[in-house]
Amino acid sequence: MIFSPDLITGVISFLFTILIFSYLIGDNPLFRIAVYIFVGVSAGYVAAIAFWQVIVPRLVYPLAFGSIYEKAFAAIPLLGGVFIFMKISPRLAGMARLTMAFLVGAGAAVILAGAVIGTLIPQVEATINFFDLNAAAARNISVVEAAGNGSIILAGTVFSLIYFHFGARPKADGSMHRFGLIELAAWVGRIFIGITLGAIFAGVYAAALTALIERIASLINFFNLFGNF
Amino acid sequence: MADVIKCPVCGENNFSNQEFCQFCQSRLQPSSDPLKGADAPIKPGQVPTKKNTAELEPILPQWLRDARDLARKEEQQNLDQQASQKSDETKPIPTDDLLAGLRSQALGGEEDETPDWLANITGAKPTQKKSPAESSEVRWVELGDKSDFAEEEAEIDPDRPSWLAGLTPTEPQPDEKDELTDWFRNADDSKPVEPSKPSTTLDIPSADDTPDWLRQMAAAEDLKKEQASSFESPSGAFPPEASETPDWLRGLEDKASDADSGIFAESSAGESEAFDSSATGELPAWLNDQSESPKPVQDTTPKWLKKEADASKDADLPAWLSKNDEPGQIPSTPAQELAAEESTQDDAFSGLPDWLKASAPQSSLFEHPEEQTTVGSSDFSLDTPDWLSTFKPGEAPRPESAAPAMEKETPFDMPPAFVPDAQTGESMDDLFTEMPDWLSTAVEPGSESIPTPIVNTDAIAPGELPSWVQAMRPVDAAISSLSPSYSSDQTLESRGALAGLQGVLPSMPGFTPTSKPKPYSIRLQASEEQQSHAALLEQILAAETAPVPIASFSALRASRGLRWFLFFVIFAAVFSALLLPAPLFSMPLGVPRELGGALDISRSIPEGAPVLVAFDYEASRVGEMEVSASPFFDQMILLKHPRLTFISTNETGAILAERFITGPLAGHNYENGINYLNLGYLPGGQMGIRAFAQNPRFSSPMDTSLQSAWNSAPLEGVTALSQFTALILITDNADAARVWIEQTESARGSMPVIVISSAQAAPMIQPYFDSGQVTGMVAGLYGGAVFEQNNAGRPGTARDYWDAYSLSMLLTMSLVLGGGLWNLVLGLRDRASAREAK
Amino acid sequence: MRVINAIIAIATGVLILGGYFFPQLAGVQTLLLNWAIILAGVATLVGIFNLISVHTDKIRRGEKGSTYSALLVIGLAATLIFGMLLRPQHDAMQIVLNGIIVPTEAALMGVLTVSLLYAAIRLLRRRADMMSIIFLVTAAILFLGSATLPFGDIPLIGTLIRPWVSQILALGGARGILIGVALGTMTTGLRVLFGMDRPYGGQ
Repeated sequence: MIFSPDLITGVISFLFTILIFSYLIGDNPLFRIAVYIFVGVSAGYVAAIAFWQVIVPRLVYPLAFGSIYEKAFAAIPLLGGVFIFMKISPRLAGMARLTMAFLVGAGAAVILAGAVIGTLIPQVEATINFFDLNAAAARNISVVEAAGNGSIILAGTVFSLIYFHFGARPKADGSMHRFGLIELAAWVGRIFIGITLGAIFAGVYAAALTALIERIASLINFFNLFGNF
Repeated sequence: MADVIKCPVCGENNFSNQEFCQFCQSRLQPSSDPLKGADAPIKPGQVPTKKNTAELEPILPQWLRDARDLARKEEQQNLDQQASQKSDETKPIPTDDLLAGLRSQALGGEEDETPDWLANITGAKPTQKKSPAESSEVRWVELGDKSDFAEEEAEIDPDRPSWLAGLTPTEPQPDEKDELTDWFRNADDSKPVEPSKPSTTLDIPSADDTPDWLRQMAAAEDLKKEQASSFESPSGAFPPEASETPDWLRGLEDKASDADSGIFAESSAGESEAFDSSATGELPAWLNDQSESPKPVQDTTPKWLKKEADASKDADLPAWLSKNDEPGQIPSTPAQELAAEESTQDDAFSGLPDWLKASAPQSSLFEHPEEQTTVGSSDFSLDTPDWLSTFKPGEAPRPESAAPAMEKETPFDMPPAFVPDAQTGESMDDLFTEMPDWLSTAVEPGSESIPTPIVNTDAIAPGELPSWVQAMRPVDAAISSLSPSYSSDQTLESRGALAGLQGVLPSMPGFTPTSKPKPYSIRLQASEEQQSHAALLEQILAAETAPVPIASFSALRASRGLRWFLFFVIFAAVFSALLLPAPLFSMPLGVPRELGGALDISRSIPEGAPVLVAFDYEASRVGEMEVSASPFFDQMILLKHPRLTFISTNETGAILAERFITGPLAGHNYENGINYLNLGYLPGGQMGIRAFAQNPRFSSPMDTSLQSAWNSAPLEGVTALSQFTALILITDNADAARVWIEQTESARGSMPVIVISSAQAAPMIQPYFDSGQVTGMVAGLYGGAVFEQNNAGRPGTARDYWDAYSLSMLLTMSLVLGGGLWNLVLGLRDRASAREAK
Repeated sequence: MRVINAIIAIATGVLILGGYFFPQLAGVQTLLLNWAIILAGVATLVGIFNLISVHTDKIRRGEKGSTYSALLVIGLAATLIFGMLLRPQHDAMQIVLNGIIVPTEAALMGVLTVSLLYAAIRLLRRRADMMSIIFLVTAAILFLGSATLPFGDIPLIGTLIRPWVSQILALGGARGILIGVALGTMTTGLRVLFGMDRPYGGQ
């Protein structure tokens, strides 16, 4: 018997698949063993990737072989990285806040600009452009279809947004209710949200089912592998 | 057993031939022998034997030793000031002796230092009353009986021995403070007095007799000492409130209305010129006044009564009482220094609580019998009275408190129990009109005149009588001068502090207070309405505290059977479908719009064009993503041989890209560095994508082999993001797709974006396709199957999975609808039954 | 220190934000973002070291489950060592990936299938309102529309209803959600840039 890498991989894969599937019987030590090993291996793998694909090419190389400017530019993140490592020590965790402040500020700017440029404006424009009959004709969409579907999408978009509007005013009896029209629009929005979440659920289930099929297929392939022997 | 006798103090059995208890060293039987030896009454002029009590120092409590140390230091300062006045009379003050100051009472010829209460005895009409058993009295103290208050009265008596005068701590200890302390301190503060003029005629026995540490502590509070000058203060400090004063007291008030100074005459008669005028021989002025004339008399009314009484000044008023009366008078003689020293007893109350209030249970000072035996020497006579045999050296008895009680015509002359002079004027009304039971009991002569030394019966062994105790013994002259005027009870006190006195404890015939205190019942007197209200309140409280079950849905029990059933059904369906020898279900035929865009791109990109591929999916979606992406890449590679550049914002994405290119696409023989390049992991999420979109060469300078990426063949001619022919995003996460779309929006230009997504991310990516930001999309196994149908008939994995997928989907739809309806019915039934239950 | 943190965060954000709209700041934006990339990679390592410290502490204290923690630490250390020595692209590391990581995650995802189905079936027993019914009906339509029959797509459901639901009805709600998310993201970013929110520990 030759212990080829494929065979070793197949055996380990089969073993871990079975251990994970044992969870369907109930939580058990075998399942936990597999999960803990998986977490440890994944973390080690990620650490190795972070070192070889982030630290080395972006930090070590510039500092070791880069020009003076590259070294200078790399020294700052090196210092920031040292500060981040201080987060491990509660006494020195305050220094890490400098780096965290930098990361938070950069992240805030990026998500702000991305949301505005990449989602907010284009999606609003798309909602409006659905009623552009010329554009619809260019896409081989009939006017009725464009107007009808555009209206539904517009309604779904607006009502779904209204559904997340939770502002309310107290009434005379002390109860809190949204404005009547808002309440009605939110009720319609709930329908759209329900449909969307149903579609997402179906997609999640389809993805999970595909993973299950892939795993069962791998088990069958594993048995076929032994069958070849 | 007949020879066994029970100790009246500790209750232990002793042989009857024993005179002292072998457990507590108390006298088992009252001594009927005449007082002799150390117990013998002191004759006038006799000097008490000086005893050295320094050995008690180590057993003092820490607070007391600290106080002594502090007092010693302060004494060094005050002693110099006092030396000029006292150098003739005082002797060097030993500092190592706890009770060394008592030797002042043992000075020869110091009959004058006889406590004033004893001096009063000489002119009083004692009413004999048989004192209760000494032992039981001790128990009262230990248990905190009403006698405790009598003890406190004794302590605040100005006639208290001088050694007690120094017990005032230099600073009030917060932890030793109690209500009494505050009362007395307030009283002191409210009546400031000026210091008195020094007198040259009065001997200061108490100054010498006071233990140095105590006296130093007393000296530390000069101001309060000087308040003792209020002995000479004129009346008027307290406004008359005769209308609310009992009759019996009003009589006293009238007599004392013109009382002047000379309060201390009973203790310093003949010693102070200042007192000569008010003191008549050895008879206290207040006694003379009471019996002879209504002219100025000493007001023996305690302060708490004086406030109620007229504002007369009583020369006989003890220092602790009188110092509040007149703030302007200054004791000008050494006698007044003595008075001042004694007046510090007021302050001593601030330090009292520990040892006096708590009394016996806290007397750790005397917990070592062997040390106490050192106090009692072998000279201690066997016929020492019980009160001495049970006496604690450190816990000074206050027998003098009994004498005033006997001599003064009213028990209120003694500050009754628990009635400190700090009682404010406005509260005095209540004091007499709503006198509590315990106080009404305390005013009874019998209980009030009982000397209640704070002793621990096992504290002292029979032995040598300390000098200060000798000094407190009644003098023969006083005994002989006792007249049976109060009562015919001529019982000779044989025990206790009054041993040797006859008829000193009057039974009070004809001495009953005219105003009888109101009896109060401890029984709660409440009307029915009040009781009903109380019951209602109880109900409310009970309702508040009663646990109220929180109405909520009962947790739906997990059905393991159903879970197993579902697993078995799905697993069986998938397994059986995968084992089918031939395809059962047809592949989907319809091509969705978004998939058409992907098809177009895969077929329309230029030959060998650089294509950027982002692998942003988890290992868990490997099966789905590879099935979805394989047909697209297979077709594109087959048709256009693009140069692929892989990048990932997921840690494992780069490795999964290698798996993808060496797995499903292995047939194309793409090689790293030639046909494709793996830039590896791009950290930072949106920040990394934005940086890469802005300047890819700077953000990802190397590939996973640590080679310069941008000089390699796959990236030849590419310097910016927009120079890629297409961006293919393989992701299982809608957020990842959104981020890529957002951050490359301004950098990609017209570069088409193809998203190969998991089925779970497709609904949220669909709007980007609808908006035109995404050119085409392949979603899940369904999309892969559709694309595979349009891949020139090339076999793919999607076909292998499709039967299982399709069968499972049908089965799932059936289970969801059927099971959902069934559970809907069950849920409606449960809710209906729950409503009925309510 | 708090002020310095806030200044750093705000200044960084403003410079990067300016890079989106002003080409003059594009270089600064790139530089800052590349620093952020490196720091994010370091933060990943810090997180992993923290994971190690947590589980080593559990092992040292002998807490319940320390055996599992030992397995985790052993697996992590072994993978890290081999990964550092051999690099992640090595064949041995591919065995780790294809033998442990991928099968385990995929199997966990497969287990999720049963859990999702179980939850869908029991949903109406717990909560039978309009939204739940719409949710399940939509899911059922898509399940049915995703499948095929031996002879082809399921008529009407697979060819008309499913695409209409997923591309029109679901699109409206999804776009509403996306716009809402974008608005929320914008608000959050503005609050950070204005210093009102300081998640880096400024308050």
